[in-house]
Amino acid sequence: MSETLDDLEERINELRGEIRRAVRAREGILARSLRAELRTAERAWDHAVAASEPPGTDEPPPGSLLPVREQVHQALTLLGVPAAAKMIVAVHGALRAGSLKGAQLTSLRRDEERSFGTSPFARPYYLCAALTDRLSASRGLLAVSTWPLEQRVVGPLSPRVDFLTTAIRVAEHILRLAETGEQAPPSAQRLLSRLAQNIPGATPYGHGTRHLATGLTLAGPGTASGAGVAGGFAEPDPAVVVKAAQAELGVHAAADAAARAEIAGRARDRLRDAERLFGGTMLSLARTRAAGREV
Amino acid sequence: MSTLAALARLRALQTGTAKRLATVRHCHLSERPMVFIPLRLAGEAAAPLAAMAGTDPARPRLLVVPQPRDRDLRFAFTAELAEILLPYVEGLQKATETVERRGAEPYERCLDAPQLIVPNRGAVAFVHMLGRSTRFRRAEGPYAVHPSVPVLGRWLTFLAQRAQYPGSAVLLAATEALSLHWATGQSMLEDANLASLLGWIDPPAGMTGASAAREAEDPLVWPPAGPATDPGFDTEVLVPAIRAYEQRPTERAAARVGEAVRTQLEPTWGLMWRAIDLLGGLPAGPGTAARWEADRASFTNFTAQLAEGGPPQPKRDGAVGAASRLARMERAQASYDAQRAYDDPLVMAGHRLTGEAFTGTVVATDPDHTEGEGRGRKLRPLLTIRTTDPARLAPGARLGTPERRGQQAEVVEIAGGLVTLKIIKGMGRGKAATPGAVPEVGERVCYAALSDEFQPPASLPAPEDTPWTHGGPPPEHVPADEDPEEEWS
Amino acid sequence: MDRLDLLRGPVPPRPHDARAIAALAANPGCARRAVLDAAGIDKDATATHLGFPAPFGQSPFAITRGNVFESLVKESGCAELLRLLRDILDLPIPLAAYNDLGDVGGNPSAHLRHSHTRKLIDRAARDADDAGTLYDHPLLRLDIAGHSSYLEPDVVAFRLGGLFRIVEIKSFAVVDGQAEPDKVAAAARQAAVYVLALRNLLRELGHDPGRVSHDVVLVCPENFANRPTATLVDVRRELAVLKRQLARMTRVGTMVDALPPELTFDLARDADGVPTRPVAELREAVRGVDARYAPDCLSTCDLCFFCRDEASAEGSTDLLGRQVRDALGGVATVAEALGLADGSLTPDEGQEEIARLLRLADRIYAEVS
Repeated sequence: MSETLDDLEERINELRGEIRRAVRAREGILARSLRAELRTAERAWDHAVAASEPPGTDEPPPGSLLPVREQVHQALTLLGVPAAAKMIVAVHGALRAGSLKGAQLTSLRRDEERSFGTSPFARPYYLCAALTDRLSASRGLLAVSTWPLEQRVVGPLSPRVDFLTTAIRVAEHILRLAETGEQAPPSAQRLLSRLAQNIPGATPYGHGTRHLATGLTLAGPGTASGAGVAGGFAEPDPAVVVKAAQAELGVHAAADAAARAEIAGRARDRLRDAERLFGGTMLSLARTRAAGREV
Repeated sequence: MSTLAALARLRALQTGTAKRLATVRHCHLSERPMVFIPLRLAGEAAAPLAAMAGTDPARPRLLVVPQPRDRDLRFAFTAELAEILLPYVEGLQKATETVERRGAEPYERCLDAPQLIVPNRGAVAFVHMLGRSTRFRRAEGPYAVHPSVPVLGRWLTFLAQRAQYPGSAVLLAATEALSLHWATGQSMLEDANLASLLGWIDPPAGMTGASAAREAEDPLVWPPAGPATDPGFDTEVLVPAIRAYEQRPTERAAARVGEAVRTQLEPTWGLMWRAIDLLGGLPAGPGTAARWEADRASFTNFTAQLAEGGPPQPKRDGAVGAASRLARMERAQASYDAQRAYDDPLVMAGHRLTGEAFTGTVVATDPDHTEGEGRGRKLRPLLTIRTTDPARLAPGARLGTPERRGQQAEVVEIAGGLVTLKIIKGMGRGKAATPGAVPEVGERVCYAALSDEFQPPASLPAPEDTPWTHGGPPPEHVPADEDPEEEWS
Repeated sequence: MDRLDLLRGPVPPRPHDARAIAALAANPGCARRAVLDAAGIDKDATATHLGFPAPFGQSPFAITRGNVFESLVKESGCAELLRLLRDILDLPIPLAAYNDLGDVGGNPSAHLRHSHTRKLIDRAARDADDAGTLYDHPLLRLDIAGHSSYLEPDVVAFRLGGLFRIVEIKSFAVVDGQAEPDKVAAAARQAAVYVLALRNLLRELGHDPGRVSHDVVLVCPENFANRPTATLVDVRRELAVLKRQLARMTRVGTMVDALPPELTFDLARDADGVPTRPVAELREAVRGVDARYAPDCLSTCDLCFFCRDEASAEGSTDLLGRQVRDALGGVATVAEALGLADGSLTPDEGQEEIARLLRLADRIYAEVS
């Protein structure tokens, strides 16, 4: 070992100081080269430390044997509605064993699109996009290609409807487990509480005494008024959640279905196969239109 | 700001070093204060990142939360802080004195009280937040914490609440204590930076206060005194260190975070003890002992409340509680201002400038002057003082004097640089004034319209009689079940 | 506005975000700041080139915390936000429609996104009932001294009945009903910028701008948890200050006309974007427009260290802060104030009273210290 750990640490601290000085002086190029030096020094430190340490007892985290796309497919199938990566991870973590990480989902849709482009419909299903009313791929929502278009498009009320549906599916899953005498994992209960808190009538607390205006005042410039809505924990009853969510769902269902049918109709008319799955090129159309107007 | 303080700042700017605003120390300084420097994770209300604490300048204790978003680690931090703070506080509860009271039972009062010294106002606010976030925790149940944590929370809350009381010294912000005694050549805003403030007051050899203060603004030379950390430090050092801990939560990774925050805390630790030394170098003002006595009484009371198993301090004051607290604070502020003026000619100077006080030479006296007839005849010694101060006092105004505390005089007449007073209290009960009670001709005297006498508390309804306009009687505080279970992410 | 382009040099004007616009109101008396901002000059780059880099920075922890909290409030079609609005404003259950105005596919221009926002807000303003309730990421526009600035707020515009409201999400905590006053003030100032921009949009579309409420919904985490809580904050005062300052900046023309014709703040960047303007020359140019330094600038303006240094060289009493300046009755320099205090300077007309006080203070201070 050419340098001792102490030397390296001193060097690392010096470099950090220099980097911060460079960053503050807006000397980007210098900061970058210093950062590179810092990384080298940190790597050297890591090596030196590893050499001085008895063999590690750490093990890689247990991973599911299924490929990521299949785990995502399972979660989406259970939900039956387009979902964001964060929700997919939460649902997967709550209902199945395994450790899906948000980062694993970031490139998923692009990979699927590439695979579809190479050989269309070669796979039994693709993880695809939900479509906005502009027929473009919705930011962040994943869906399954085998779902009817109506299920994959997003109208103005669809986020709410899909949220309520998600709550119902999670609650039903917990009820099914209970029927077979299984205890739902705590993570499932936590997810259900979180969802239930935002559904009127789904939780046993919160819309009772705490609902009264508490005269929350902020020490601020303008006059502040309003009511604080406090939070807490309570185990919601899955059956109550299902009922409450269905009640609100009933309010939105017809309007949402009509909007979805309209968007799905347009998508069928105007989009090619790949676009129906991964989003249309309305953007380029719109761009040409906008450009044409400006000229 | 008074013209006097403004002038002191101008002189500081002109000469390059801070100017004194006081000739004596106006805050009690404990023989064994505890210095506490908390750091908070940026963007969070009360997520401790680290702290340095202790009563021995040579042996600071470093507390670190290697991943401040992890609530278990946060509570481990508070448990560790409790290990430091609670023995300190409890050690001061043992020695007591018996206080005799006229018409009431004598009671026991602790001989000393805790004194926590933090760098700045932000740290005082953080103590309050940390107290709020821990005092409702419970040692059992779903989110159990170490039993010391809620006790710590109550003590922190006690200190933070008591600190709002004018003249209290149980929780001092170093920047505020220093600013009370010195004027710098920069703005009050810049004085909130401890390193820069000390740069003005006590610059290193070969440097002017002004240049020391400028250097102190460089976070690479003098890391901020907290609770906020330097964003550059966060980006370059803390983020990678915490990320490394997240990936592999080993002892070494935790130590790496610890070493990183140590570099940010150690310079301030040194500054804090320098601040204490500087304050300690000033002779204590006579009033500090009485104010500390009130702190000791408050500490004794709170100790008793805790011992009796009282509930944690409520989240909010009721209307009457808040109003009586406000009235108490206003009285305390007035009496604190008066005490400092009587203790310190430099503070009195500010009142002389505004005309509330004056200094002059006695030119005539009539020590045997009386008023009234027969049995109602009273001794009212008269004296006339020549002054060049712009005294702005109305006839009948009540005055006190630093030379003869407890004496009271009344303005008879002010004309052409001559002030005539009559002494109405504190000259003895005999036919003639007690020797020395009436100043001699030629004596330099100072009189001021400032009173630090006890005034009866404002009459407020009892809490149970709170009018409905003010929310009605507050519900009796019952610790709510959800209090300890409050989510704490 | 060619003059402003000349002042800036051959670089695009720096866009103003809401934070920058809100900060405009911080020191309205400063001509230097008004001119540089009106010309869209990169004050940060200017300060750095002058050798006085701004002392600001935001911790990555704070940024992450802000993003995490915002996404929590907005996830699942703003489920948390709906709960809060149903609670404090009695938003009826059927009104749950969510439109993400930022989600238009791909990465379109600000212009295109703004016209999309216009279209949807117009429809919402015309339609009584079912045109939508929540409008996330509206791309608004505000004219500042003749330049259009696009504002990309992370706010939600929300419509109930005929009234629009701005929802602002901030990650500072409200503990027991209290938040840090300066944070609430900053949030109110920023929200006022959005209210004004949305009002202007309605006016342009031929609707009544009064349909945007001056009460904004401020959403913050409650106590020590992540759970959001909502508060209505009245921003009328902030709106008034902002409008006044924007009007002032439109009049910046007269200020600019008075400047020497050859004056420019151009950094003369080379092909790599490195400034080549001689520093002394730039310093003279910046000093050509008067500043009004105050210690408050230290937390709001990129040029603060430069202006402080200048004030220090001039021996200005501004250095010591407003309280001192007030106590000195507006005497401008340290030398003048001290001269009045020791009697070496004869007071000008109107300075007699402060001179008397300073002399008295000087005498008493010497007597007791």
